[in-house]
Amino acid sequence: MILVVGEARGGNLNRSSWEAVAAAQQLAGGEPVAVAVLGANVAAAAAELAHAQVAEVIAVENPALDPYTPDGYVVALQQTVEPLDPSIVLLAHTYQTRDYAPTIAARMARALVTDVIRFRVVGEERRFARPMFQGKLTADVVPLGPRPHFVTLQVGAFRADQAARAAQPAPIRSLSVQLEPGAIRQQPEAPFQEARQAVDLSQASRIVSVGRGIKEAANIGLVQRLADALGAELAASRPICDAGWLPMERQVGSSGQTVAPKLYLAVGISGAIQHLVGMKGASTIVAINKDPDAPIFEVADYGVVGDLFEVVPALTAALKE
Amino acid sequence: METLVLWLLVLAFAGWFARQVASRLRLIAAAPDTLSFDHAGVRIRRFLVDVIGQRTTITGRPLAGLAHAFVFWGFVVFSGYTVAEFLYGLGLVDVVHRTWFVGYRAVLTPFAVAVLGGIVYLLLRRAIARPIGLGDTLSLESVLIALFIASLMVTFLLTWWLDEASAAGRVNWWAHSLVILTFLAVIPSSKHFHLVLSPFTVMLKSLELGTVPNLDFEKEEVGLETVKDLGRKIVLDALTCVECGRCQVNCPAWGAGKALNPKAVVLQTQEALLAGQKDRKLAEIYSEEVLWQCTTCGACEQQCPVGIEHLPLIIGSRRGLVSNGEAPGYLAATYNNLERRANIWGLPSDQRQKFITSAGLETFDPQKHDVLVWLGCAGGYEADFQRSLRSLFDVLRLKQVRFGVLAKERCTGDPAKRTGNEYLYQELATANVEQLKAVAPRTILTSCPHCLKTLGSDYRLVGYQTEVVHSSVFVEKLTRDTVARERPGETVTYHDPCYLGRYAGRVDEPRALLERLGATVREPARTRDNPYCCGAGGGLFFADKEEEHGARISDIRLKQLRETGSGTIVTACPFCSIMLKGAQASALAGSESAGAGDVQIVDLMTFVGGRLAKT
Amino acid sequence: MTIGVCIKQVPARDWQPRLNEAHSWIRDVDVAYEMNEPDAYALEEALRLKEKHGGEVVACSAGPARVTQVLREALARGADRAIHVEDDRLADADAGVVADVLALAMKHEPFDLILTGLQSDDQGSAQTGVLLAAHLGIPHATIIMDVQVDGRTLRVKRELEGGWFQWIAMGLPAVLTIQSGINQLRYATLKGIMAARKKEIRSVAAPPRLEPRQKIVSLYAPEKTKKTELIEGTPAEAARTLVKKLRDEARVI
Repeated sequence: MILVVGEARGGNLNRSSWEAVAAAQQLAGGEPVAVAVLGANVAAAAAELAHAQVAEVIAVENPALDPYTPDGYVVALQQTVEPLDPSIVLLAHTYQTRDYAPTIAARMARALVTDVIRFRVVGEERRFARPMFQGKLTADVVPLGPRPHFVTLQVGAFRADQAARAAQPAPIRSLSVQLEPGAIRQQPEAPFQEARQAVDLSQASRIVSVGRGIKEAANIGLVQRLADALGAELAASRPICDAGWLPMERQVGSSGQTVAPKLYLAVGISGAIQHLVGMKGASTIVAINKDPDAPIFEVADYGVVGDLFEVVPALTAALKE
Repeated sequence: METLVLWLLVLAFAGWFARQVASRLRLIAAAPDTLSFDHAGVRIRRFLVDVIGQRTTITGRPLAGLAHAFVFWGFVVFSGYTVAEFLYGLGLVDVVHRTWFVGYRAVLTPFAVAVLGGIVYLLLRRAIARPIGLGDTLSLESVLIALFIASLMVTFLLTWWLDEASAAGRVNWWAHSLVILTFLAVIPSSKHFHLVLSPFTVMLKSLELGTVPNLDFEKEEVGLETVKDLGRKIVLDALTCVECGRCQVNCPAWGAGKALNPKAVVLQTQEALLAGQKDRKLAEIYSEEVLWQCTTCGACEQQCPVGIEHLPLIIGSRRGLVSNGEAPGYLAATYNNLERRANIWGLPSDQRQKFITSAGLETFDPQKHDVLVWLGCAGGYEADFQRSLRSLFDVLRLKQVRFGVLAKERCTGDPAKRTGNEYLYQELATANVEQLKAVAPRTILTSCPHCLKTLGSDYRLVGYQTEVVHSSVFVEKLTRDTVARERPGETVTYHDPCYLGRYAGRVDEPRALLERLGATVREPARTRDNPYCCGAGGGLFFADKEEEHGARISDIRLKQLRETGSGTIVTACPFCSIMLKGAQASALAGSESAGAGDVQIVDLMTFVGGRLAKT
Repeated sequence: MTIGVCIKQVPARDWQPRLNEAHSWIRDVDVAYEMNEPDAYALEEALRLKEKHGGEVVACSAGPARVTQVLREALARGADRAIHVEDDRLADADAGVVADVLALAMKHEPFDLILTGLQSDDQGSAQTGVLLAAHLGIPHATIIMDVQVDGRTLRVKRELEGGWFQWIAMGLPAVLTIQSGINQLRYATLKGIMAARKKEIRSVAAPPRLEPRQKIVSLYAPEKTKKTELIEGTPAEAARTLVKKLRDEARVI
């Protein structure tokens, strides 16, 4: 059988768990699929997972499992996995999984293959494709050694909406695990979001950046609304900060800390090299500029050649839909 | 009786002079020997032209320079007179009563008038006009010396009217002699020590602007950290400074209101040396901030009439800081980029490859190609400069020049060298030299003046030499057969890049090229071999996010260029282009946007390419 | 404090991939190598902790002879000595093998703290640091943005998804995997490079039998390459298309 380990925080199920369920169903080929979810109180998460077409949902509960600690989860998961003897344990490659999956693999002396984007079954062999060399190459790997093999899936590589659902909810089984609170060596505090006293663009995961195309200080509000709709920080190219339309801390430039957000949206920025270099760490770059020859389009993943005064409000509206 | 008194005075004053000179000579001798006597012919010629001929003194400030020249020439021709009078006064030899001596005095007389006129002009200029280069406060020492010189000339001229035997005549003679003796004693401890040292500093000056020798890591050299590390030439320079302030008023950083003042740096060095502060840290003497404000434009060295080399001192001090990990944060980022990606922006090399492919460039093959085109960091990664390179390629193809590029380039190391990261520079340079020696191009062509200086001149010290030429020079030569077109005068203003105009002396070729293509070239304030820097050099290019002390150098230069009223500004360096366009962008966004947009800033090759195609 | 830093030597980030004959690994010819960037941040953090609390920093690496390059670089930046597990088989070894050999070499050292980058630029398994902690029997935390040491207590700031963070307290010794960008990297100074020549790199052999946890059956170039996608249509249409792509393709919103 294939065991999927879902992830819930504060009782809420992480969307990536559904991706793992979908992958498990595709991989299973006849084997049953079970889903486990760990925490102090996972009733809601387990009920949601029960809608999947799986053999069973295992609710692994223990007060010591909240808050999450690697020590707690490893002990609980080992007690979950061992009796089931699955061929594969599938998890989403989330920050949390990265924190404890190698430990349980080491504890159980089993192989772990991480960050998988695809799989292929060749005869008896399951081959897992994973990126290597910063995505320049892909490797098909086969885990070695006795079962179970642990496999983590790149978030977003499998589609949550492809997880098959069942008409009848799957049975939910409660599993109590032995967990001494004293065995947990980490003392986590409550998670928090950074307080916004100072602007720190280097930590922002989304940035909307405005350039000279904005023409006047008064128009910045337009872009601010887009940034708000995206939950993004507002940044600017140097001329905007020079003119005093935005403070210096919001300048994206080439010296010192550069920014490396997941999303960088450049509005009315031509892409002078000093600016390009400052944003080169961004994972996804979107450019809006009316000049099709602007250098920014060379580095953008997505581009809209158009008048920002029309595109930006349209974008803000589309985000709210 | 008078003779005895004179002997005592001569011995006393000369002794005092000798003691002061001796202590300074000890300072010079104690310094590490960095002097070079090579190319003796050039150096002797320099002595004749700049010391005897006073060329730099006059060309830098014509009126004051000429006045000084008169004073100097007068001083030289008077030396015979002074010696003769003292020999007579000491009772040793009497030539002053010979008949020919009258003739000698007659020859000296117009000189004396010229000297007197010159010194009075200089004194009034200093005391009343108060030029800023001469300092915030009036130098009493300078006034005193001026009065000394004036009185020497007056007392000399009076000998035509006064009978030497008369009481007035005796007083006059003694006055003259006492002034000479006092002057002698004052020379070593005043800026007039240049009388002794400047012929040496002028002759010993490096033959090329901004020469900073490589560090020898085998000998564990790390650069200049304390006063005792200062080399002999620097010590000579510090002691010879005439405090004229030409370096200061030509310095773009000082002109932008920053803390850097090259004159102050030299004088602070002098002060520390004379106070015997051997172990004092240089960064503390000048203040670190000052050291990082220099763009290495070279105006200071070039304008100095007594051969002072400011750049080895500033870059040497930077080396001391960098060796200890004390480079400013923005430079640390650039060093990491150079270290990891071998280009100043840390961009991946496939981006450069994309340009090579899209421009249809061939890999350089010495069998096939005459010329290796060195793209440089800007050529590899900066879209705007790549446009100008495409124009260059069009011109080369049009003229059937067979050219290729290197499949992989490392930065020449210029930013590392000018900011004092000598280790990184040598790493890059050695690797480049290995590659260049393997392909052995006869000619390297580049559009970047910084690459020009580094490849063409600095690399000699790393064992590589070949012809390296800037595209403006190469294309000018290539297009001599192009007939100048009839065109209504399109006015352009040409901005000389420091590393092309001042360092390489190439000021005529770009202008010839522009005029050949029908442009009328206007000159801005500060032009040709004394341009005002764009502010990119010396690592300042990477400080674009830093809080700036004073104004931005690029803003000032853009203003100077716009004041010519031309519709187009042409430059021949990728960094000048980026800086000036940045200044224009800032001006457009800001309050002074009136008219800032109606001037086009374009690279020379882009200008040429467009118009050449239509001839 | 004795701080260990595990550093991997990886092909330079802008290296163009070339495969070996069997397509089971890269062709190790004409490859420029460099220090794995996340490990460089880990090293920088270790050096800062040493500057604050005193002690020594020991750089550790597992790989063929050529990895001494990154160890020398670590020494030039300020590490005090280095340990090199030297074996050619380690060039393409998986994280399990690397963690095994590092644990063997490091377990007798009195480390108070071990730092490593959160993952390597070559295989990117993100396992080695955590496996090492398990083998050494000490606690760990991953994706760390801030490290504070107070006597024998450690307090670290862990990055969570979506802009959230969390402080965690632990005792020493512990292993931390460090997130890139935690600090600003220093460059190797001339004095550091000169001093590095005299510092010790202790070479130890890997055990005769290695236990691989995975086998690379084939290595190949992925189908998709980065290209700019220009979105057409009226502003309203383009906006909607863009939102859809950002949501479903790029998954950034």
